[in-house]
Amino acid sequence: MMLSENEQKIISFLKTKGVSNSQEISSATGLPPSTVFSNLKLLESKGLVKILKEERKKLLFLTEEGRKRLVEGLPEEKLMMVLGGQPRKIEEVKEKMKEDFEIALGWARKRGWIEIDGDLIKPIVKEIQAPERDSLRALSKGQGIDHASVELLLKRKLVERREDKILEVELIKDVEAKPVEIYLTHEMLVSGDWEKREFKEYNVEADPPFLPIGRTHYFRDFIERVKDLMVSLGFSEVSSDYVELEFFNFDVLFQPQDHPAREIHDSFVVKGKGRLPPGRLVEEVKKTHETWWKYRWSPEVASNLVMRSQTTATTSRVLSRSPGSPLRVFTIGKVFRPDAIDATHLIEFHQMDGLVIEEGFNFRSLLSILREIFRGLGVKEVKFKPGYFPFTEPSVEVYGYVDPLGWVEMAGAGLLRREVTSPAGVSEPAGAWGIGIDRLAMLFLGVKDIRDLYSSDIEYLRHRRVV
Amino acid sequence: MPTINLNKWILLEKVSLSEGQLKEFLFKLKSEVSPVSDDEYSVEINADRVDMLGLGGVVRALKGISGKELGEPKYTVKETDYMLVIDKVPQRPYALACVIHNVKLSPEAYLKEMIQFQEKLHETIGRKRKKVAIGIHDLRKIKSKTIRYSLVSTNDKIVPLGSTVPMTLSEVLRETEQGRKYGEISLREGRMPAIMDSDYNILSLPPVINSEETRLEPNTNSLFVDVTGTSLDAVSQTLDILATNFAELGAEIGAVMIKESEGTIRKSPLLTHNRLRVSLKEIESILGIKLSQEDAKRFLEMMREDVVIGDGVLEVVIPPYRVDIMNVTDVAEDIAMAYGYENFALNEVKVYRVGSLAPKSSLYRKLRTLIIGAGFQEIYTLILTKSTRQVGEIVQIENPISQEYDSVRNSLIWNMLTFMSNNQHARFPVRVFEIGEVVLRDSTTDTGYRNFFRVSIGVMDSKVSYESIQAPVHEILLALSGEKPEYKRTVNDVFMRGRTAEILLKGRSVGVIGEISPVMLNKFQLLYPVALAELDVDALLEVI
Repeated sequence: MMLSENEQKIISFLKTKGVSNSQEISSATGLPPSTVFSNLKLLESKGLVKILKEERKKLLFLTEEGRKRLVEGLPEEKLMMVLGGQPRKIEEVKEKMKEDFEIALGWARKRGWIEIDGDLIKPIVKEIQAPERDSLRALSKGQGIDHASVELLLKRKLVERREDKILEVELIKDVEAKPVEIYLTHEMLVSGDWEKREFKEYNVEADPPFLPIGRTHYFRDFIERVKDLMVSLGFSEVSSDYVELEFFNFDVLFQPQDHPAREIHDSFVVKGKGRLPPGRLVEEVKKTHETWWKYRWSPEVASNLVMRSQTTATTSRVLSRSPGSPLRVFTIGKVFRPDAIDATHLIEFHQMDGLVIEEGFNFRSLLSILREIFRGLGVKEVKFKPGYFPFTEPSVEVYGYVDPLGWVEMAGAGLLRREVTSPAGVSEPAGAWGIGIDRLAMLFLGVKDIRDLYSSDIEYLRHRRVV
Repeated sequence: MPTINLNKWILLEKVSLSEGQLKEFLFKLKSEVSPVSDDEYSVEINADRVDMLGLGGVVRALKGISGKELGEPKYTVKETDYMLVIDKVPQRPYALACVIHNVKLSPEAYLKEMIQFQEKLHETIGRKRKKVAIGIHDLRKIKSKTIRYSLVSTNDKIVPLGSTVPMTLSEVLRETEQGRKYGEISLREGRMPAIMDSDYNILSLPPVINSEETRLEPNTNSLFVDVTGTSLDAVSQTLDILATNFAELGAEIGAVMIKESEGTIRKSPLLTHNRLRVSLKEIESILGIKLSQEDAKRFLEMMREDVVIGDGVLEVVIPPYRVDIMNVTDVAEDIAMAYGYENFALNEVKVYRVGSLAPKSSLYRKLRTLIIGAGFQEIYTLILTKSTRQVGEIVQIENPISQEYDSVRNSLIWNMLTFMSNNQHARFPVRVFEIGEVVLRDSTTDTGYRNFFRVSIGVMDSKVSYESIQAPVHEILLALSGEKPEYKRTVNDVFMRGRTAEILLKGRSVGVIGEISPVMLNKFQLLYPVALAELDVDALLEVI
């Protein structure tokens, strides 16, 4: 017959007594009463034990305070420790004892362990042992204590009386308890010994202990998916730095220096000045701005530093190197904008910018590529709305249909203006777009709060389902 | 994007469209409409279409795109005997004016809309009144036919709009809200520009405030409009837009003669018509669609432009209110809008070349596969962080919105420790990693800063050891490079003495590793030990 480890313990104890009760078994085996109780019921069902009587009795239990004091000592004992045989200032002792101070002082004086002299506490005795400690220890081992001690413990709220069930049982059938193995070992397999042994049956239906596994971050997975999509459409990935010259962030993109969107509250400023690129680009940009926007273009303003506010800055750097055609590049990265932080706004987020320079590239090709990108992202239906960006013309805003929200704005795009391409020496038609990635990710990943994309709660990350 | 509020009933009546049609046509005009109340719409207008910041412009555009009226409306301009005499005003040299008759300012919605239009023009084309400012007066209340634009002293007096008592101009600058907001713009050495009647009564103080004396009333029938500024183009465009928008709503434009100090005289508003010759072929190649000359002409007329057809060439007469049209691409966009973006037949995308990931992305993928194999959870933290959390030289944000994000991270270690600190109640062990960029000074770049690519890997548990992080890092680097990494004892402020090393690969330093010092743990309110490593991926890229 298979017996659990606990059942075996109980059986071997009963073998020595024949008849016993659950309380006695608990103190003898060290098993908690509830465990003894359930195991006795199991043994009864296996026909090994007979339950003679089941009765309710008021019993003494250690309170939480009692259990604490059993381990840590009583307040007055701690007080004596703090004194360490020396007189000490009341204030100092109070500081160390905190909320235990009053009780400790009361009992220690009552027991004649200390005396108060001015602002000093003086120990009188050297060896101390509070009788309550012994009583607590005895009770915890299931031993009885005298009436006076019980009263004292009750008064100090170290124990309480609670009603509990007691089972009186008799061992009715002896069993040969075979040793039960936990592990099947290499040695057992070598010797063939395993045949003679019994192996413990596990509770295979219980939850396992926690094991942290290595996992990718769900938002970064989404970003990698977008990169794969762009590569599959023949685009090569490019990147640039977070700290950017206003020149590339704005001027090359035909954004006039007095444009409202260039005001200080629309981008994060970094101290210092950068160097404008050598060559004719700066001259050309200046000329274009002054001709059309009618103001004095300042190289000072253009060399200010900002945290890039659009990944189009990367596109603008690519353009400034006068790339040849055909060209398809994309970038996906962080942009920074001062904004109040809430469930839908953060001061940094991702954009995916794309750039196509191809002979014969036109507005229709641009719309076609945009539809393809959104198809790849899982947006089945898109619609195009005329839009405005300083650096593109014709311009378009892309809306995608998402259940249950309806039409959601997803991207801005257009053919690059000549005012942007010609200063860079690019003569073929070029198309560009910017897509806000965080908002798209929120829609697809079912995230309601943008801050969850950058969650600092590891349990949140551990619990996210992989999609 | 600017937003204007328009009375729903007035708008619908003027354009004879249903609500559904209105929505659809505004969409085609780059705009979006949403109700704010039973009587009012809020309409988003794109920044290029300043003419649509007023009711007149919206009505004109809608009538065109819905096909109800085509081409440029012919607004008549009547002669008047008003004259604006311009003195030397160096800080704000340009001024133009016009008269508007038969204007409708009641019911109140009309007056409200006109003031909104004026403010929106100030914000956009006027660059917050610095470049252009508009003054609108009740013509009946102006006592002379000759108006002056001249400099006045701050000791001169005016009854500012909304007040009852005369104030000196210095008082106006000090005590009125407008004065405090715009007073500095054109004030030079105690003198500022003013519009005055022939008796030198100040009618307005551009760009600050008007006089109470010429205040508009609900029954005002005629207006005097002055526009001043620092760019003649912008001043002229603004007046053209104002005048044509009034005219679109049924008013009549009256010309004002402008007399400058040099003696030149011109008639205002200028109502500038530029002409642009574009080839139909070029339009077709920009848009990727086939068009007949007649189609192209009709589409442009729907956008309220006149067109003269030549042989394969369209001569577009750009009306004065379309100040956004620069060249052929703008014409192409107008055609595309009238054609309808929804009518473009999309084609399948052809791929001519194989795309590729940036080397950093490829390395990112390799690294993360390896680190996940070692049992770490990937985390993703923000680039901006609190400067007091960081150690070493940092890039400070000059205009942060909060101290929490006042600098750019110079290492991934601080973000990881912050993450650990937030997760001391999570199930242990906490084993995490991050791959990302940090910013450091670099004198070789044009900005003086550069992004550096880093990896951080860390463990927090009730007990951690140097080896608990060294073992996985060792295997990862070995797998990546085929070389055994070496470790060189080092001392620093972040890690515990005797428990930190520099990681060397092929003799080159590629990172640091160790157990975080209790002082550093304390700084992050960490009550559990942490061991971590930070790898320099740029250096790794060079040796693997």
